Formats: sequence, structure tokens, C-alpha cells
Amino acid sequence: MHIPDGYLSPATCGAFGVVMVPIWARAGRGVRKVVTSRYVPLVAIGAAYCFVVMMFNVPIPDGTTAHAVGGVLIAVLLGRWAAVIAVSVALLIQALFFGDGGVLAFGANAFNMAFVMPMVGYGVYQLLTRRVSLTSPRRAAAAGLGGYIGLNVAALVTAVEFGLQPTLFHTADGTPLYAPFHLGQTIPTMALAHLAVAGFVEAILTAGVIAYLQRANLPVLRINHSGVATTDEDLVAAPKLGWRWIAVGMGTMIALTPLGLVAPGSAFGEAAPKALNLRKYHLNAVPDGLRRYAGWWHHTIFNGYDFANDKHPAIGYLISAVFGILAIAIVIAIVLGSLGVYRRHQRPDRIPA
Amino acid sequence: MSTAALAPEWLTAREIALCPCGCIGKRRKANFVEKTIIGAANVLKQAMFSADVASQPGLLQRIQPAVKVVTMLALLMATAVVRHLSILVALYAATLAIAVASGLPLWFFVKRVWLFIPIFTGVIVVPATLNLITPGRVVIPLGTWFGHSVGVTAQGLTSAGLIVARVATSISLVVLLTLTTPWNKLLAALRTMRVPKMFVLVLGMAYRYIFYLLETVTDMYTARKSRTANHRNNTSSGRAFVAATAGATFGKAHALSIEVHDAMVARGYTGNARSIDHFQIVKRDVVWVLACSVTIAATLGVNYALGS
Amino acid sequence: MPSAVDIAAFDASVCAREDQEIFRVEHATFSYLERFPALNDVSLTVRRGEKVALLGANGCGKSTLLKVLDGLLFADRGSFHAFGAEVTEANLEDEQFNEGFRTRVGFVFQNSDAQVFSPTVREEIAFGPLNLGLSIDATQQRVHDVMRMLEISDLAERAPYQLSGGQKKRVAIASVLAMNPEVLLFDEPTAALDPRTQSWLIDLILELNQSGKTIIIATHDLATLDVLADRCVVFSEDHQIVADGPPGTILRDTELLISVNLLHDHAHDHGSTSHTHPHDESHHDSHREH
Repeated sequence: MHIPDGYLSPATCGAFGVVMVPIWARAGRGVRKVVTSRYVPLVAIGAAYCFVVMMFNVPIPDGTTAHAVGGVLIAVLLGRWAAVIAVSVALLIQALFFGDGGVLAFGANAFNMAFVMPMVGYGVYQLLTRRVSLTSPRRAAAAGLGGYIGLNVAALVTAVEFGLQPTLFHTADGTPLYAPFHLGQTIPTMALAHLAVAGFVEAILTAGVIAYLQRANLPVLRINHSGVATTDEDLVAAPKLGWRWIAVGMGTMIALTPLGLVAPGSAFGEAAPKALNLRKYHLNAVPDGLRRYAGWWHHTIFNGYDFANDKHPAIGYLISAVFGILAIAIVIAIVLGSLGVYRRHQRPDRIPA
Repeated sequence: MSTAALAPEWLTAREIALCPCGCIGKRRKANFVEKTIIGAANVLKQAMFSADVASQPGLLQRIQPAVKVVTMLALLMATAVVRHLSILVALYAATLAIAVASGLPLWFFVKRVWLFIPIFTGVIVVPATLNLITPGRVVIPLGTWFGHSVGVTAQGLTSAGLIVARVATSISLVVLLTLTTPWNKLLAALRTMRVPKMFVLVLGMAYRYIFYLLETVTDMYTARKSRTANHRNNTSSGRAFVAATAGATFGKAHALSIEVHDAMVARGYTGNARSIDHFQIVKRDVVWVLACSVTIAATLGVNYALGS
Repeated sequence: MPSAVDIAAFDASVCAREDQEIFRVEHATFSYLERFPALNDVSLTVRRGEKVALLGANGCGKSTLLKVLDGLLFADRGSFHAFGAEVTEANLEDEQFNEGFRTRVGFVFQNSDAQVFSPTVREEIAFGPLNLGLSIDATQQRVHDVMRMLEISDLAERAPYQLSGGQKKRVAIASVLAMNPEVLLFDEPTAALDPRTQSWLIDLILELNQSGKTIIIATHDLATLDVLADRCVVFSEDHQIVADGPPGTILRDTELLISVNLLHDHAHDHGSTSHTHPHDESHHDSHREH
């Protein structure tokens, strides 16, 4: 999921860089408020830990191995704002020293893996652990599910970033200037890889570490769970849910996607409709080809594409661009929806501390 | 061959667990213990190797780090804006020349850049040259598939060339910067560039403790390896072991962070970062900045002249 | 917040008489996480120029006491005065007080990896002086001098991961000495060091003491006690001070040392006969030296 330099247009990189600055500033304040001067070593060693977690090879059932990102794990252990900084720092070190992820693309990579992933994953984790004791197996499972969903949403956002490139940045004769694959190809490919393999690795590691710490090192789990009851018997009051921040995170994601759409138009003056007319593609072949490897997934997408190809190219252009926003909106709707339902259920039987 | 001596065998057999696509991982039949240890060892070796190269004399080594960081960022942006293959090839050639002038063995530099990401990019963009994905003028027809003609398009080929050349040039620029600048100088450069000192402090400390944690992890894995010499990895016990190692490592990392904080406070730390470095811009830095400015101006000029 | 009187007392203390007490701990009690006791009603006074060894088995509370003396932990009950002024968490939040206290007291931690946290040796040594308000020029001078004194000038630009255990210890000590503290606290200084570095360190500590520094060492290494200390404070395993006296007296008191678990009756067979003799905790070291 690490995007190297050269895959994204400078406008996209710039947009994500601009979006990340206030997020980092907010994260810095968020962490400092909790641990005051101790935050420097805590976050620094958290970042080192995150870097090291990316080196853990996890055996998966077919006999091979893969490794996790660890964004949600750090969020559960140190809190979501600490995770934003820790993962960002780990990504920067990888970008500078190991050519893993670009330097210009650092903002985009940080957005995907250091912001979207921990925020979404931690949001899921918090939703599922509202009235769950610290030693409950549900907590480890919730962390694992948070890891799975966090990673997949991050992968989806990455796929959208990739997939918008050829639509937005191409020469007059249709030559893609950056990543050449369209949303219709990037989303199913990324989704397949992450839903089927990487997500499970992330889940296994996240849940496994939490389960281990529940058994072997409970005080360490307390760093980010100070008010949580140890066992089910001690359970009195639920911890405060940071749902507002999930909403803010999601909102930023929505806000950002059209930004990527708008920015290049003004920056480079690309005449989109004219360029599009030149792209009277042989795209009819794609649905058949893709159906072979993506199965159920592409129906939604390719209805849009056929529509674009045959009759209204300009609308198709928009549809393909907006697809990512829709996909994200669906995720938000599900998360916020369940949140709302959950809150309605929770409020009446909430016991004051 | 002198380059063979300079490029140790781990460089040629590089398989750092940090693969370019991050989380998907490499799906290869190998013991997870071995892979993790190899990955950890490679990070350490690579860091030590970079430190050695950075202390050799050469063109870039003599430029002030802050100046280098700024010019490299500007060159990266110019590379990102360019939309003509010929310009990208010229820029790439320039990075090779700078590498040689900085005392980096050419073959080593080329290998370091091309393994693994540009090659990986080249492989994944192959399908994008087909008219199925990048429509356009078919230059190499490949036949028909489900009633549609399939072929490689001129647009697809140009696009593939563009992205591979751009990726290679970008990585070359970053590698040039980090190989010719000691890590602490790079941090100092970030501080002079008004990156918040606190962030630089975190960055420096994170890098420093990566090695400590890697050592911890390697020790745990080695202990396990010595116990499991005979039976191949059992997936579920392997997973449990990974989780236990990662969990125990976090416990150690946290205890360490408390100790480090004590050590900082004991020496007067109150939450403000201070640093000893101070920079002076000398004539050769100015010359370097001018040279880079001219390159960037020429790049953008030619790019504009060639049109879109 | 400290009153103006506190600060004045603090400054006056600097030019006080030679035999003046510098640390006074009274009835200090401390528990980790309010659950795990570490100090139980501990009182201790340290005078200028002393070499004090805090002796005890692992977990007896000697490291905790060092942290209290360095103003890193604060007793739950009881008080701690340094240089005539009371040291509390609130007092240390005052910048002037903090600076005054931190410059005068240096702490060499047991784990050099925790103490050497900067990207390079040079920056590590500069950290203390810079934080305590020295100018960049003055700091560079101190860094230079201290590196020469400890023979680590050639390590200046090295990263911590490139250092051996012994080198890291030297860097850790250099980083503390650069602040020129009056009191040096050492936590298990000789642990995990090779014999050569050990003897170098012992010489250094003696030299520092002769130049007027007060030395406080937490240790369970009885072998080096004779040279390193002129006063031994013994902790029992229930976190209390049970003895305080010159090393000669303490080392002869086998019964005491066994009761605090610093020595243990060790029985083993030599062919057909068997005998009992006391072993100290660092018997491996002492065997090597014999």
C-alpha cells in the first residue's frame, strides 16, 4: 500500500500534504494533552515499534507469510492521535531510507495508513468495546476486526487515489501521465488482495498482540484504557466514545476526494471534456475480461462505465471519479448508522459512574 | 570488480520484508522466523552501509544538508511535473552523473535504485499498455478476445515508459540525498528548515530505537529458531509466537520509553527541544543551488515547449 | 510553587561549608501504581564528598531511592530535601529550581540504551548542557573536553547502534559529566561490563570523588565495595534500611548479608565430602578475579 513517487500527480500529492498538516498538528496536541512531556519518548518508541511491526512475518494458512501495517494496533495501544504520529514517523523513515513509499507521496501515504487506517480501525474497535472489560476476549476480537476494516478502508482510499490518476491526468491523446489503471481496475484488485489476504494478516496480528497482552502484561494495556474495568465483574460504566472523531475523519475523506478532482483542473488547465472525446475507447472488452477475475465486484462499476462509454462520456467521467466518494460514503453510512443505532440502544441503560 | 566489493551480497539478494506494496507481503515459501531475522539484519546493514557512504568524500557530501534537502525536493517536484519521456530520461542520466561525482559506484547505485520498485512498477504496468486499459492507437495487435481486438497501444507504451522513468528518477533523487547525508545531519537540516524541533526529536529518537527493538526481536526469534530446528513452521503456533513476540516487544518498548523519559528529565529536559547544530552557507552551496535552479528551469521550459 | 525563600536557600547552599549535608530523606514511603511497595519509611542523610553505596538484593528499593534522590519519583509520604531546599514535583516545575537541581545532580542509569537516546554521541553529550541553558559555544567546548577525558573523541559522530556496551556506558557517563554535577548517582554501574571497562569505571569514580564530587551507587556487587564506598547503606527485602556503616563492618556481618539476601548459604558436593560456605550475589565476578 506504500505509494512510491511517480504514481500520483504533484497536485494529488500536494493536496494530501496540505490535508495532513492540520491533522498532524491536531495529533500533536491530542497526544501532548494526555501524556505531557512524556510524549516524545512514547511516540518515538511507538514509531520505532510500528516500523518493527511491519517486519513481523505472520504465517498464513497456505504456508506462506505476509506482514501487517500495525496502524490499528498502535491506535489501540497508545491512542489514535499517538498512532497518527507514530505511523507517520515510521512511514517517513521508510520513505527516506528504504525507498518504501515516496517522499512527495508521503502526505498521501500518511493519509491512508497513518490517518484513515487508525481512525477507522480504532472507531470500529471502540464501537464494539463500549461496555467490555479489559480482559474480555471480545476486546481482542474487536481489535482484530478493527485491523481488518481499517486496513481495507485504507486500501480502498489508496485504490481511489490510484484510480483517479488516469482519468484526471493524461495527455491530449489519452496517454496516462501517472498511474495508468482506472478505478474499475484498481478498486477490485486492491479489494481482492486486502479482503482476502492482507486484511486477515492485519487482524491476526492485531488481535493476537492484544490477546497476549491481556494474558501477560495488563498494565501496558492500561496506557490507553485507563478507565476500563479489568474483569466483567468490575464493569460499571462505559468509557467515553470518541465517535465525533470518526465522523471528522470520515468527513475529511469525503472532502478530500473531490478536492483531488478539482485541484488539477485549475492547476494545469486540462480541458476535460475535449480530452474525453478523444478517448472513444475499446473499453467494451473490459467487462468480459474483468468478470473473469473480479466476479461479483464489478457489476456496480461497469454499469457506470458502459453508460459512459456508449452515451454520455462526460457523465461517465464524473461517475468514475465520484465512485470512490460513493464507496466511502457507504462505509460512513454503515459506521455512522450503526453508531446511531448503537447509541440509541445504549443511552437508556447507561449506568452513571 | 571494485563495485562487487562495495556492494555486499545482501544488496543483490535484497528481500527486505518491507515490500513496496507494504501490507500484501511477499508470498514465498520460507520460514517466517528466517524471513523476519533476515529483514531485521538487512535494515541494520543498510543503515550502516549508508553511514559509511555518507562519510566518503564526493560532490554531494560537500553540500550543506539543508541546501541538499531543498534542492532535492525541488528536483523531485520538477520530475513529477514533466510529461515527456525524453526529459525524464535526461533527468535520470543527470542523477547518474551526480552519483558518480559523489563517489558512488555506478553499478551499485543503479542496482540500489532499480531493485525493487521500478522493476515492480514495470511489471504491473504491462497490462496497462493494452487497449483494454489504455485506449488509443494500437501499434502491436495481439489478436481478438471475446470478439474484441486486443493490442498494445502507443499511449499505453508511452504511459508505461513515463511512469517507470519517473519512478526511477524520483527514487534516484531520494537515494542520492540519503546516501550522501549522515542521518544526524539530515535531522539537523530538517531543523534549520523550520520543521518543528519536537517532530525532529521524535524522528531521531524513533530511528535510534528501531535498532534496539530489532535486536530484541531478533533475539526472541533466534531463541525460537534454536528450539524449532526440526519441524517446519506450524502455522497456528507460528502465529501465536508472532503475536507473543510482538506483544512482549511492545511491553519492552513501553518500559523503555519511560526510562528514556527519566533519562531526559534527569538532564534538564522540560519539553523543549534544543540542538547544537548551526549551518553556514558557503560558495559551493550557492553554486549548487544555481545549478539546480538552471536544471529545473530548463526542465520546465523544455516540457512547456514540447507541449502536452 | 517554590517561594522566594526556597530559592534563596537553594543558592546559599552552593557556597556552604564542606561537611554540609546535601541530601536529606525523611521517612520516605513509595509504592508503584499504589500497589507495589518499593520504599518503606526510609530516612537517609548524605554529606558532601561522601561515597555511599546502597546495597540490597534485586527489588529492594535501592533504584527507587536513587530516582527519588534525582527528583524523578516523589515519595508518597515523607520528604526529600536537597541542598537545603525541599524537592517536590511542584517545585521542579519552576524553571529556575529545575535547572538548579538538574545541574547539580547527575544520574547514570543502569540501562545505557535508555540513556543514550540521541542520533549521535556528540548530540547525546550536548543534550544536558543545552537543556540547562548553556550557549552553543560553551556546550561544544564541554562536549569536546568530556569526550577527550573519557577517550571517546573518535566516537563523536557515531550512532548508538554502532557502539559496544562499554562504549555506550562511557557515552552515558560523558553525557552526565558534561553538566558538571556536584552529585553523581550510579545505578548498578559495573553490571554487564567487561572487566577492563569495569576497572576503568572504578578508577573514574574514585577520581571524580577525589575532585570533590559526591558519589551514590546502588549495587549488589560486594566485590568492588571496598574501593567504591566509604559508607554502606543496606536495604532489606521489605524495602527498609537495616544497616548503615563503613564497608569493612558491613562486609564482615555475614548474618546481616544473608538476612537481606546478598549472600546465601550454598551447599555443594566435593566428591565424598560436602561443605557450606557463603556466596555473594556476584560470585561469578569474584571467582573470575581470584
